[in-house]
Amino acid sequence: MLACPDCDLLLRKVDIAPGAVSLCPRCGRNLDNPKKDSIDKTLALAMSGLILFIPANFMPIMSLNILGMEGSGSVYTSIIAFFGSGYFFVAAILGLTSLIFPFVKLVLLFTVSICLKIKLYPTFLGNLLRCHHHLDEWGMLEVYMLGILISIIKLHHMAHINYDPGFFCFVGLLIVALSSSSAMDDHLFWELIEKNKTYGT
Amino acid sequence: MTTTDTEKPVTAKDAGLAVCHDCHKLVDFRNISASTLSCPRCGATVHLRYKGSLNNTWALVITAAILTFPANLLPIMSVEYLGQKDLSTIMDGIIYFFQSGSYGIGAVIFTASILVPCFKIIGIVLILLSIHFRWRGWLRHKTVMFRFIKFIGRWSMLDIFVIALMQVLVTFGSLSTSGAGPAGTYFTGVVLSTMFAAITFDARLLWDS
Repeated sequence: MLACPDCDLLLRKVDIAPGAVSLCPRCGRNLDNPKKDSIDKTLALAMSGLILFIPANFMPIMSLNILGMEGSGSVYTSIIAFFGSGYFFVAAILGLTSLIFPFVKLVLLFTVSICLKIKLYPTFLGNLLRCHHHLDEWGMLEVYMLGILISIIKLHHMAHINYDPGFFCFVGLLIVALSSSSAMDDHLFWELIEKNKTYGT
Repeated sequence: MTTTDTEKPVTAKDAGLAVCHDCHKLVDFRNISASTLSCPRCGATVHLRYKGSLNNTWALVITAAILTFPANLLPIMSVEYLGQKDLSTIMDGIIYFFQSGSYGIGAVIFTASILVPCFKIIGIVLILLSIHFRWRGWLRHKTVMFRFIKFIGRWSMLDIFVIALMQVLVTFGSLSTSGAGPAGTYFTGVVLSTMFAAITFDARLLWDS
């Protein structure tokens, strides 16, 4: 048995093939979509995300040249600049959503999938997966990416833009981070954690 | 997947069960008088329905509606060019794009900064009103709309990210500098409160009536 989280309809659980999707017949919510090799894929993608994270956020994304004067920026310096101009609240939200939450999400995903891979089930595993679930919508890498693209369009007729290594790392990080989240099979992960739970309720 | 009863749909609540919103496990509430339980699988607090969901969502959505005014009326960006300070609101920036012929980018910013926040506030108010006045039609559409509101919530932050980048890219000593304006704080407030409003809202309440 299972229930739809959105409309509370009680349903009989059916097993579906990897790649297929089961939807709630009443409200259309995606209930289950098992994935193939979910643990391996999630682990590999989360690991690549962690490797790309530092260069993507701390190396300059692009630099531009106007009349011999150069300006360049990375994700990190753009947050620091906001702190510098005195808007602490905005700067803090910016830092959390574009730097800290994406990093924490990758670390959590990496830890959970490597534990499942080597069949190690510490008691805090469920808590880590829960944290990841709650942080899901607060990591905003893809919004930042659109922000980068808009800045490029905004500036390209004003100045010559050089794309720095940070730009390519950021694009890579975005692709890897998004696919690591979508490679994760929630149901499988939770079932494995439940099956190997060693502590009481 | 098939419903257990084709005549009248049975909800988990009718059967004395509740679904855990963190790990989606069904938790048994039968023979238990409490309205919350700790999920045996993940440890999250499971509610038959979120406590005070409607009140919290109302409060947050009203906060967002109030903050929308300073967010749109105060300048969000200041550009200094050759010592001349130029303050612009969100709408000024969009109009500038349209005047300079960048229709696509103007439309993107208009969608993210003005359409999406308004749509979110109006959509959530509509859903809340339909619960209060028991409008039973279009339930599936309202649920889909709610999921959409949850999904687009984060995209409103776009303008803030653009300003942050411009701030570091366009700094050429005294020639030209670009900075944030006071509306940034209010605008972030609008985005945060609408996102929290979507989180505190329990979609199951729509279907209870």
